[in-house]
Amino acid sequence: MSRPGTDEIVVEHLTKQYKRLRAVDDLSFRVRSGRVTGFLGPNGAGKTTTLRMLLGLVTPTAGTATFGSRKYVDLPDPVREVGAVLEASSANRGRTGRNHLRMICRAAGLPDSRADEVLATVGLTPAANRKFKGYSLGMKQRLGIAAALLGDPRVLILDEPANGLDPEGIRWMRDLLKSLAAEGRTVLVSSHLLGEMQLLADDVVIVAAGKLIRQGPVHDVLGDGSGHAQVRVRSPQTEQLTAALATLGATVTPAPDGSLLVHGAEAAAIGHAAFTAGVELHELATEQGDLEQVFLQLTAGKAGIR
Amino acid sequence: MSLVNAELFKVRTTSLWWIMGIILLPLYAASVLANWAQYANSEVTGDTTDLQAQQIQAALQPINVATSLYTSGQYFGILIVLLLSAIIVTSEFFHLTATTTFLTTPHREAVILAKFGAAVIIAAVIWLFTTVVNLIVVPLILGNLDLPTQLGEPAVWRAIGLNALAFVLWAILGVGAGVLIRSQIAATLILAITYVAGTAVVSIIFALLTNFVAEWINNLQVLVPTSASQLMISGTDLPGSPPQWVGAIVLIGYAVVTGLLGTWITKRRDIS
Repeated sequence: MSRPGTDEIVVEHLTKQYKRLRAVDDLSFRVRSGRVTGFLGPNGAGKTTTLRMLLGLVTPTAGTATFGSRKYVDLPDPVREVGAVLEASSANRGRTGRNHLRMICRAAGLPDSRADEVLATVGLTPAANRKFKGYSLGMKQRLGIAAALLGDPRVLILDEPANGLDPEGIRWMRDLLKSLAAEGRTVLVSSHLLGEMQLLADDVVIVAAGKLIRQGPVHDVLGDGSGHAQVRVRSPQTEQLTAALATLGATVTPAPDGSLLVHGAEAAAIGHAAFTAGVELHELATEQGDLEQVFLQLTAGKAGIR
Repeated sequence: MSLVNAELFKVRTTSLWWIMGIILLPLYAASVLANWAQYANSEVTGDTTDLQAQQIQAALQPINVATSLYTSGQYFGILIVLLLSAIIVTSEFFHLTATTTFLTTPHREAVILAKFGAAVIIAAVIWLFTTVVNLIVVPLILGNLDLPTQLGEPAVWRAIGLNALAFVLWAILGVGAGVLIRSQIAATLILAITYVAGTAVVSIIFALLTNFVAEWINNLQVLVPTSASQLMISGTDLPGSPPQWVGAIVLIGYAVVTGLLGTWITKRRDIS
């Protein structure tokens, strides 16, 4: 293996044994800089425990989780190197958003003005002087992201950041994280919102029952589950179309909505076959493999409450 | 120092400090008035044992009246300091801010040390406030009792100094207790009840043990933090009690033990 860069996250043989539960079980993976990495797994898969071990909040039973080769506690200036959002509702209810951020600035030796800068970045300036108990869940998430950005870190770690965000908020967060990765930062996002991950992530790390299931670029991972692309065709002349497609050697499955799902032939070939057979087409669409399907297939039987 | 500053900022930016202030002010005023009333009306009655009579005699000596008055507000001031110190720790868990705090400062012993520092500063501020007001008000009260101000007496200044030490030690004890009892409600209730009812209950228990088991047990009463604190600041040595410095040693012992234990536990514990 190559020597890890300082902004690369390296997890090696990480294990956490609670009294009766092995929450994380010999887990190894790497997270590269300049990309958004989705950290996926069913509830109770050990995602949060892994992130907490990475951040020095939970002590591993065995193995290491490091930034480059350094543990979080050994980083000389952690706030300027790593930003993390672990819980949305983690501020004192009676404190204002601005003071929550200033409190971190003071402990980390950052100027108070950084608080106002990140509030502007996350669009919370109008609510800066409101107490935390008056914040909506979406505003709490934004405040958490603001706190993570205070030190302008090279590495960002977010645990379920899309929880409680409205569609506009989710889109905002997606754009923000993508732009941060485009600046060369390392972005690790845990989530169970698979559709959102498909839009956001470049790489995925899939875990279940504390173990690594699959790691790699989203497109590769989509390629192996059930991910052979299927083509959906709709035609008023279903029978003639089925006959024409049979000559291509494709498998045709009727869908409940009256369209046909075709496996084993590409859209262009299907269109051509329909054209030569004189069949009228109303729809012809290639459907990408779906992360949700792949995820369910990969984690089948390994998920659930342990 | 920036961590202590951050801890004080945390206290300053919620409503806790002024709520505690509002509670403290009337309690402080009441204790000054109560002390005044006590010395204005008390005299030695015939129906007491020799030891009790000696103790009351001693307490009524002008120097002891003065030290007691110049440290007015200690009882409730320390109660507030104790609760605030514990809450400095427990609120981190109550509001789930421990994660943010330990992400900002992964060296946990530094965080706990900063909390000790902040609690001691708060204790010193409250001590300073009560002491300054006492130095203004008490000479008037002593005049009313036909006693001199006695501000030239070293014993008075020693009592004021020991009062400061009591505030500081209880602040340390409070932070340690907050780490040990992480639940905010449990910590405040247990500390408040132990502090307020503790002394009375303990003296009853020790009186019974002394009467029915053995005389020497009474000497162990100083091991109870509230009794140790009282002994430490009781001004001049009263008959029948261990010397003042024993109380100081016991209280310092408690502060050191809870402080070290609290730091050790915080370092080891998983934050989840």
